[in-house]
Amino acid sequence: MHGDSAVPTRSRFRPRDLFSEAVLSLLAHSGRSALTAAGIVLGCAAFVATMGISATLSRQVSASFDIARATQVVVHQPADEARKSGAATVGSPVPLWQRPTAVDRLRRLNGVDSAGPRMTLPERTLARTLSTGGSDTQAKIVGVDAGALAVIEPHLIRGRYFDRFHDRTAAPVVLLPANLARVLNIDRVGVAIFVDDRPYTVIGVFDDVTRETATMGSVVMPFSTAQLLVAGSATVPPERAVLIEVRPGAAHPIGNQAPLALLPEASGQLESIAPPDPLTLRRAVEENVTMLVLVVSFIALGVGTFSIATAATAGVTARAAEIGLRRAIGARPRHIFVQLLTETTLLGTVGGIVGSALGIVAVVAVALSNGWEPILDVRTAALAAAGGVVTGLIAGLLPGWRATRVQPVAALRQ
Amino acid sequence: MTAVLSLRQAGRSYDDGHVVRALRPTDLTIERGDYITVTGPSGSGKSTLLNLIGLLDRPDVGTCHILGRDASSFSEAERGALRGEMFGFVFQAFHLVPGRSAVENVELGMLYGRHPARRRRALAREAIIRVRLAHRADSDPRTMSGGERQRVALARAVAGDPVVLFCDEPTGNLDGANTENVLELLRQLHGEGMTLVVVTHDSKVAAQGTRRLRVDDGVVREGA
Ligand SMILES: Nc1ncnc2c1ncn2[C@@H]1O[C@H](COP(=O)(O)OP(=O)(O)OP(=O)(O)O)[C@@H](O)[C@H]1O
Ligand SMILES: [Mg+2]
Repeated sequence: MHGDSAVPTRSRFRPRDLFSEAVLSLLAHSGRSALTAAGIVLGCAAFVATMGISATLSRQVSASFDIARATQVVVHQPADEARKSGAATVGSPVPLWQRPTAVDRLRRLNGVDSAGPRMTLPERTLARTLSTGGSDTQAKIVGVDAGALAVIEPHLIRGRYFDRFHDRTAAPVVLLPANLARVLNIDRVGVAIFVDDRPYTVIGVFDDVTRETATMGSVVMPFSTAQLLVAGSATVPPERAVLIEVRPGAAHPIGNQAPLALLPEASGQLESIAPPDPLTLRRAVEENVTMLVLVVSFIALGVGTFSIATAATAGVTARAAEIGLRRAIGARPRHIFVQLLTETTLLGTVGGIVGSALGIVAVVAVALSNGWEPILDVRTAALAAAGGVVTGLIAGLLPGWRATRVQPVAALRQ
Repeated sequence: MTAVLSLRQAGRSYDDGHVVRALRPTDLTIERGDYITVTGPSGSGKSTLLNLIGLLDRPDVGTCHILGRDASSFSEAERGALRGEMFGFVFQAFHLVPGRSAVENVELGMLYGRHPARRRRALAREAIIRVRLAHRADSDPRTMSGGERQRVALARAVAGDPVVLFCDEPTGNLDGANTENVLELLRQLHGEGMTLVVVTHDSKVAAQGTRRLRVDDGVVREGA
């Protein structure tokens, strides 16, 4: 046996042996290993938690997105355009883009449910009787046609809406919000109130509106009736707009087409205000969160790499004797290198898995405590775990290389 | 027949601040079956000599030959195989791995060699029995006496059946009875044909060798 004269060819390190040696080494210093992996655990947990919570939140944003607001478009003339076109002058007539022909063109657009002109007049004096004193008050006047009224959709508690007939004939009728009715001591419809000393019949009282909540404090009357008040007054000109109710999802295209439909010859004078697109909104939320997650992950990855790398590099010094021994019993420098790399990669892997699990727990806990549906992408957790693996691998490069420099004699001499 | 090992004007000096000539250029030939003992005062260069011929270190002058081949021409893979399979080492400071049992430490000595794990386990058990430590086979070396650790280190060195066994003070920590056991074991191994190079302070150990070397101040003389 001792007579084998051939020089043995190569020393080897079988994968199974490599794996069990790496595991044994980690377990032998389990405290140090746990500390080393802590950075990765935290990093992966933070990554999974932020991703999961942001996904949960953005689902929440679109779920609670105001459907009424999302189906409304308002077209108006910006103040400077209004001045240029002369519409801002006191007592001006109804502008072209608020007239029935224009609004009819708009109503024909696909996706428009109802539409109509609205004007808002500055505050006027309201009274129950002509005699001054007693119960008078101030309120804005909102003039709308039947189409715009359908967009605002006041919730009546008494009476009825006005209709096209009232509008065409400029009938002196009004709808009152409940709070004004109370102030004016009106508890039934059919009674008269005076606006700037002109009599109007109250035909309905409402306590809420679906859109344009600003309407809640105003007297609502037919558009043409309100126009008479404009003509006869010397105060500031009214604010004019066209209100449109669109089908869900149509807000953006209608917002783009409405100015052209209302004022084909000078659509640039009009501006339409569409609600933020839920998709855009969600994307914006996600973009913000994605940036945050990227920053968090990079920091975590850096911290993880750094903590593993420093611990493992320090470990090389602490383990010099063991490394020297391994060299003396046949290990090649590359065997030492792959063992160190395997150790840090195992740490990274375990850290990544534990961290992802903690992150998932955090997402579920946050979601459930808020009554939200937790949204978790399995790929996120997998990505975090993979990040742990890569971090461990990268972190092992420097200490692994340093370990190959350990010379057997120098290490064994201690 | 080619010599197992030979040094041709091989020397080693260290330089940290001032130069220490740990081993002056030396010629030495070790034949198969030699039982060489090395004596000399502390710091004379005995361990340095052992490290050079055991391929743990490289000479800074001259050459070291293994089976007729210049050792500097070996690749790392070949050096590893020579250290792991052809040589066995018993270090002056044992260098057992704490946290692993005696038998696991013995197995570790064959880790980078040709045997699969199951075979390594069986050989390790045999070696542990051979050094009369069967009853401590599963103990952590940290709980063992110096003499027991030394025997674990010896078992680790011989378990893989090396061609050459290098021992640096194998009886340094042993009492009379244990020294006798170890000497008996070394005699047996020599009888089986193993080549031994043993550094010792103990004249009883030195007396056993078929060739006796003496190192003084880095100079090696034969037949002291
Ligand atoms: N790495 C080193 N750096 C500097 N000097 C060294 C180094 N290694 C050994 N020496 C010196 O070389 C000389 C020989 O050392 P060596 O270890 O070979 O002695 P030794 O004969 O084995 O001594 P001992 O009987 O005490 O083990 C000593 O003077 C020692 O200080
Ligand atoms: Mg020595």
